[in-house]
Amino acid sequence: MLTCDEYITAGSLEEAFAAMSRNRGNWRLIAGATDTLPWAREGRAGDVHVPVLIDVTKIPELQEISIGAKRVRLGAATPMQRFLDNAALAGVLPAMPGCAVWFADDQIRAQATVGGNIVNASPAADATPCLMAHDAIVEIASAKGRRVLPLSEFVTGPNTTALAEGEVLVAIECDALPAYGGSFEKVGHRRSLVISLVCLAALVKLDCHGRDIEDVRLAIAGIGPKPIRLSEVEKGLRGYPLTMARLVAAAEAPVSLVASRTRREYRREVVRGFMLRGLINAARRAGPAEAALAPELEAAYA
Amino acid sequence: MPDLQFDATVNGRRISRGAKPHQRLLDFIRDDLNLTGNKEGCGAGECGTCSVFVNGVLMKSCLLPVAKANGKTIDTVESLAKTGELSLLQKAFHKAGASQCGYCIPGMVMAATAALRANPFAGREEIKERLGGNICRCTGYQKIFDAVELARDVQNGLLPASVLLEEEVEEGAFIGKNVRRIDTPAKVSGRLRYAADMTMPGMLHAQVLRSPHAHARILSIDTSAAQAMAGVEAVITSADVPGEDGFGVFVNDQPVMAREKVRYVGEAVAAVAAEDPLIAKRALAAIKIEYAPLPAVFDPDEALRPGAPILHAYAPDNLTKHIPIRVGDVEKALAGCDLVVEETYTTQPIEHAYLEPEAGLAYVDHDDVVTIVSPDQNVTHHRHMLARIIAKPISKVRFIMSPVGGGFGGKEDMIYQGMLALLAMKTRRPVRLVFTREESIVSTAKRHPSRTSLRMGLMRNGQIRALEMKMICDGGAYGLSTEGVMRKAAILAAGPYAIPNVRIDTYGVYTNNTPSGAFRSFGALQTAFATESHLDICAERLGLDPFEIRRVNAMRDGALTHTKAKLGSVSLLRILDELEKRSAWEKGAPVSRGGTRRDLARDGIRPPCALGARLAHVEKQEAAE
Repeated sequence: MLTCDEYITAGSLEEAFAAMSRNRGNWRLIAGATDTLPWAREGRAGDVHVPVLIDVTKIPELQEISIGAKRVRLGAATPMQRFLDNAALAGVLPAMPGCAVWFADDQIRAQATVGGNIVNASPAADATPCLMAHDAIVEIASAKGRRVLPLSEFVTGPNTTALAEGEVLVAIECDALPAYGGSFEKVGHRRSLVISLVCLAALVKLDCHGRDIEDVRLAIAGIGPKPIRLSEVEKGLRGYPLTMARLVAAAEAPVSLVASRTRREYRREVVRGFMLRGLINAARRAGPAEAALAPELEAAYA
Repeated sequence: MPDLQFDATVNGRRISRGAKPHQRLLDFIRDDLNLTGNKEGCGAGECGTCSVFVNGVLMKSCLLPVAKANGKTIDTVESLAKTGELSLLQKAFHKAGASQCGYCIPGMVMAATAALRANPFAGREEIKERLGGNICRCTGYQKIFDAVELARDVQNGLLPASVLLEEEVEEGAFIGKNVRRIDTPAKVSGRLRYAADMTMPGMLHAQVLRSPHAHARILSIDTSAAQAMAGVEAVITSADVPGEDGFGVFVNDQPVMAREKVRYVGEAVAAVAAEDPLIAKRALAAIKIEYAPLPAVFDPDEALRPGAPILHAYAPDNLTKHIPIRVGDVEKALAGCDLVVEETYTTQPIEHAYLEPEAGLAYVDHDDVVTIVSPDQNVTHHRHMLARIIAKPISKVRFIMSPVGGGFGGKEDMIYQGMLALLAMKTRRPVRLVFTREESIVSTAKRHPSRTSLRMGLMRNGQIRALEMKMICDGGAYGLSTEGVMRKAAILAAGPYAIPNVRIDTYGVYTNNTPSGAFRSFGALQTAFATESHLDICAERLGLDPFEIRRVNAMRDGALTHTKAKLGSVSLLRILDELEKRSAWEKGAPVSRGGTRRDLARDGIRPPCALGARLAHVEKQEAAE
């Protein structure tokens, strides 16, 4: 169980920094708490005493969401449920509703934050690949100032990030991609409350005739120490006609990247299937209305 | 530890009081406000029985630091039937028979309420999805989904409210009739109190120190530092047991707490009663135990070999129980068979995972009667065992069975009641012990893992002439129900089939694993899995239909079983006919698979689970606009 002497709900970043400096070495940040509380239980960290818990979810800047023509800014304390119930947000982050609906359950999504998912840095994090596909950067603040980092560099490995002592992840900024079709593919042991064995975010923009792939974004998690963007695979698709042969070739490319400690063969099969299904689903949704694709593609994933 | 000032509106009433900074909202509403309708099932956000509304949004109160709910409006399950009249959904749960043990039901009702608020027209798939954060271990969910659909249709005026009323049933008629459970209103409203919901004035809280070793000699236990801590009322070890420190269902091999040595990881070694659970936990950390690790054995086959580590002095061969059954001459019969098939089958340990972790409350009453309130599936037997343990006449021992929040056999073997009794006797105060989910999983009995070698001899027409089965089960560190499980496994091993020659041996074996015990079906699952899987393989080898091979061998009315029980009537043939019809079975040997079968992926067969029902709904709506 997690115990503390003091629970500080910071009203501003300044308050949070002041609490950190007052209690040097004796604090831990709390966002949604949905990972922290189960962590402090038998079988994981066991009973943990942290003298001071600093809750950052009430800091206004961490709660703000702003949607611009090119970029979206998400406060780090944005609950995952917003990607489902905020239609404007869902419109510019087309893979996110699918990610959110598979994320934990309705109740935990109301509490768990996007920033928490990123900082937790699970190799199977769901939100991270989605945001990586949107060229996300993270904004980090400390008492000394601010810095930004690409999300792909922020997550450094299993449960590790570039966050230094005294730093707070305040916001994520990423591309607004309203004209893209999005898909999020995920597999685990059950429907809800499941950690991804593999998950894939796919974003596709087609040309005005719906024939060529104008742009494509792919990111995957659960196949190695951290989520990765599949830039090389994207290159093999971008600007080319959307054909089954090309998708099949693209689906094969990341199979060799599977470097998980367990169930590699199964994950390879999943990656192959997810690549095809993700790209086809995203392409189908890429137009102004969901439209049928060429018969060979429709037949592949009916 | 200074309290934090907590102001909120709970179930429509303003509250203003102190809360501990580390408390979860669940602790605060249950312990401080005594609103025990919402339960704790896992403490890790997995089960949802703690779900409450915070500012109208459903959240898992076991994952919510209480400070996060400060200044908010909180509605617990008690808010739904505040006037005493059940809500529409609660009535629908009652009508649909959607509650069994009831432990998940407060959370289910809350999640269902949230689902219909979010989408009053939600279809069954969307209901499933929105209730996805709540686990039920009894009902299989179908009746819960039925209830939500029923409430939805009444709410939308598609069905009259009268469908929620009890159907008129002719007096005394029950079979095939829809009779409502009388305990459902108590369960759907959260009014029913399980052991962990009960409190008594002056009640202490118990915690248990458990073994980190699979097999070790206990050299010394020093409880002096724990005893000296403020707020600690008692520390007990095996030295505190006044009577016979050995109990069990068939053999009294289990001490209340480890005596002289520990035999599995998670075995109780000492227990503390203190003013609050946190003090009790800290006291556990102050108990010093010196162990000398012993060689341990984790595989039952290895445990049976000469020279293996011995768990119990009385059983130097580590054999808990061997049940042999002999009918006819198996070797001779096998020699005359057209086909002999030999295979090995294994099953794994399985946790019952009842939603209610073990809990109990004990006190010594005004007449010196040691009283235990716990969700006990075998109170009379436990009462007799406890009387011997505490050396009291049976008239001075009382067991009160609290509502069982799921048992499935797992609460049939006595587990913690002895410790509770000793703590109550030592402190002369009421003492409550509530397991965490992790504690429940690590320390309590599992279904026996099994390894079964099966040899079957058949004639070309599918008739079984001989069956030879040897099943080795891992019974873990103590006997518990192992003997009974081995007996039933052997009795049912040949299935409902008339087999003239049978040789069956089931063995329950001691190992340093978590003890195995009673679990729904009690040994029948392991042998039936082997026998039935084997029959399918034999059918394939003989080119026979799996229903046919069973019909050929089915016992008929008046059959004598291989344990010489005479069966008046046997319904197997009727059951096989019905199963074949309802499954739309594609006749023939079971050689075609998956997508090539016509009896799969047809109407009435459930499709694989998918998510996003609500997204499909949005897309359809957009398309319509």
